[in-house]
Amino acid sequence: MAEARDPLTIRYLEPVGRLTVVRQDPPASAASFSATYVGPGGWGFDAPGAEGTARLVNQLVTSAAGPYDRVELARRLDRAGATLSRQCAPESSEVTVWGPADAWEPLLGLLALVVQRPRFDPDDVQRARRQLVERQLREATQPAHRAERELLLGIFPPGHPYRGTGLGTSRTVRALSRERLRRFHREHFTGEGGLLVVTAPARDRAVRAAAARLFRTLAEARSPTLRAAARRPSKGSKRSVDLPGRSQVEVRLGGPSIVRGDPRYPAAFLANEILGARPLLSRLFQRVRERGGLAYHASSALEAMRLAGYWVAQAGTGGDRWRRVLPMVTGELRRLRRENPSPTELDLIRESAIGELPLSLESTAEAHELAVEAAYHRLPEDHWRRWPATLRGVSPTEVREAAEAAFGSSGSVQVVVGPLGPA
Amino acid sequence: MATGRVPRPPHRHFTLANGLEVVLAPDRQSPTASVWVWYRVGSRNERPGITGASHWVEHMLFEGSPRYGKGEMDRAVVRVGGELNAFTDVDFTAYFSTVPREHLAVPLDIESDRMTRALITDEEVARERTVIFSEREGNENWPEFRVEEELWQLAFREHPYRWDPLGRKDDIARMSAQELRDYYRRFYGTRNAVLVVAGGFEAGPIAEEVRRRFGPLPAGGESIAVREVEPPSRGERRAELAGPGTTPYLQIGYRAPAVGDDAAASTLVLDAVLGGENRLFSAGGGWGRSGEHPSSRLFRGLVDPGLAVRATSEWRPRRDPGLFTVQALAAPGVSLDRLEPATLRLLGRLAEDGPRPSEVEEVRTKVRRTAALAYEGASRTAFRLGYFSVLREPRFEDEIFAAVLRVTPREVRDRARELFVPERRVVVRYRPVAEAVDG
Repeated sequence: MAEARDPLTIRYLEPVGRLTVVRQDPPASAASFSATYVGPGGWGFDAPGAEGTARLVNQLVTSAAGPYDRVELARRLDRAGATLSRQCAPESSEVTVWGPADAWEPLLGLLALVVQRPRFDPDDVQRARRQLVERQLREATQPAHRAERELLLGIFPPGHPYRGTGLGTSRTVRALSRERLRRFHREHFTGEGGLLVVTAPARDRAVRAAAARLFRTLAEARSPTLRAAARRPSKGSKRSVDLPGRSQVEVRLGGPSIVRGDPRYPAAFLANEILGARPLLSRLFQRVRERGGLAYHASSALEAMRLAGYWVAQAGTGGDRWRRVLPMVTGELRRLRRENPSPTELDLIRESAIGELPLSLESTAEAHELAVEAAYHRLPEDHWRRWPATLRGVSPTEVREAAEAAFGSSGSVQVVVGPLGPA
Repeated sequence: MATGRVPRPPHRHFTLANGLEVVLAPDRQSPTASVWVWYRVGSRNERPGITGASHWVEHMLFEGSPRYGKGEMDRAVVRVGGELNAFTDVDFTAYFSTVPREHLAVPLDIESDRMTRALITDEEVARERTVIFSEREGNENWPEFRVEEELWQLAFREHPYRWDPLGRKDDIARMSAQELRDYYRRFYGTRNAVLVVAGGFEAGPIAEEVRRRFGPLPAGGESIAVREVEPPSRGERRAELAGPGTTPYLQIGYRAPAVGDDAAASTLVLDAVLGGENRLFSAGGGWGRSGEHPSSRLFRGLVDPGLAVRATSEWRPRRDPGLFTVQALAAPGVSLDRLEPATLRLLGRLAEDGPRPSEVEEVRTKVRRTAALAYEGASRTAFRLGYFSVLREPRFEDEIFAAVLRVTPREVRDRARELFVPERRVVVRYRPVAEAVDG
């Protein structure tokens, strides 16, 4: 390709039927290629009593497809030096192929095959069920996973698509028939509501033509729409689970938050970086670990999705030190909501976040993640190029106001899981 | 692609008068620059009483020096959008920073300073003790960590591989700041270090800058040779752990060769055939945890028939003889009394019949294809160049790459026959104690 590469800009190509197609340049000198299909097949779409469907389907599409059983599919990937990975979230189901750039078109064909023609071989279905049931059990008794689950149960009301972790129960998973999985796949791996992002050293026209040829079956398929259940007024809650015999207690504080499309998102992003997301510099890291010496990890996250969002502040610590960590975390949350960050602190965090962009362009896989994020949230083509200016336009007051909205105390949940010992 | 060499980016390798090895890998197109300092110092250099010292020193090297007060190193790198971190292994410790290319001087200054001048004060050691405990406790929440720690402890009675790099709890509780300072001064110096710089810079000026910053450092770093030689084991060793959880878990280890052994290449291929992991030439970090590989022997033999939900193998190359491990997480309703014999039968069949020629050819193809992508980006380039340098020497990657491509099915069979015998075997079984699960 003759033109200079610009991995910070994505291009929305002419859709293939109802399927949105996006192309991105790989970073300079990168030798690999990535492509991702994102479809409306997250666990928020699981029918009541059929929880676990989306996760099983997500796993099985990467297992065997078309003429290839699971062994032959794995061998074909190995021979190509490629990998298939998958991710299931409340709203979406995602499959990514990664491999050598010189094989981008055959590998895109392999992605098209698994997304459109998964086999759901009976023995694969059995195996995937066993794996999911074991994971349910393990995650229910592992403090970090259990804390995450309790947090989501506390934040989102029954019926909300983000409630829970999509693993289902042994009863719901064992009851899922092969036909039910196939139907979910047909209805949720669709062109409508679907997205294909290709990071390849190829021209737009070539990518569009390949997508049109390879994703024909999917292109016109329609999808259901995910709707958030009407929220009850949240009262907030405290949940604790005593798991004796473990070494560390996991502490989570969280609550409902804004969606990614909210105009306050850039300011909320900075609020999150200040609170706990910016490595080494964040208030939680400094307060709990560097000054308090109380925990190895202390951080925060802002999960702003299409329909809803949530925030979480978290730490893990042994013995009864969690009793000292908890007020530190709540104190930092209160401060975030009530006080503007100083211009010096905001500037440090902001410039760090801006300076980090080149690090996201070290490899095709990392740059590709930026493209998928932008395209999934339907952000402008030059979103990442403008991101530094967007962040520099945020004032300390806007950060505090966004923190009130995005890290609000209303409906917040406190979760403590692990060897709690005597109260 | 020719079969004998890994397609690495161009790089220069030279040694300063004080013994510091330097590797420079410039890539004009890279938007970033990555600086890694690798010390050939890890938990194998510790002794009972100060286990975990390498890891603790790793933490302390972020806590200040005469030039950088507490937290200033972090701020210097992070404020320009860089990231920095470190990790400790049994054979080495690595400190790394990746920054936008125009800020390369920042990590070079930090590394040249903390190589010999870290403060390691009493106050900071006292504060960090709880953080170290907390890191260990986080790991202990996973049965897999407890089992692995027990396995190595059981397999080795003399060699320092018998403890985990995190160190023993009682040592963490009592180790003094002075002991950490002594350990740091004894081993951390130019003679035991490799500096790797990769990314967007011109080699000439950066070579000069490296000489200017690191050349004046005093030659330091005592011998890292380990005197303890583990005697051959004379019979199977086993242990059963009971603890919280829901899933029975099995690890089997076999005493295995060191990375410098002639058997290294065939052991790598054996690992790939069994567990599916292409350990040294994958495009990621190169020594991470195994994923799921449906075409591997363990997956087909244990996961497919419903005995396990996960089954992998691992031979991580080490400077001294270590373990080849096989691990399996039982499927619901499957006992360890069923899983263990099935695993041993599978290993026995491979030792008896060897792999099919097509299985070995698959491994070769995979190694060739993924090795071509392993060097994408400044951070990965610096990681790989440094890793092979401290494991053996810079050209070791080419040697082992060529050797892996020459391995025959018969050699893999012979390796399996040599390794998978009861005298070399260590078994740890994790039996979950029943607890209520409201799944």
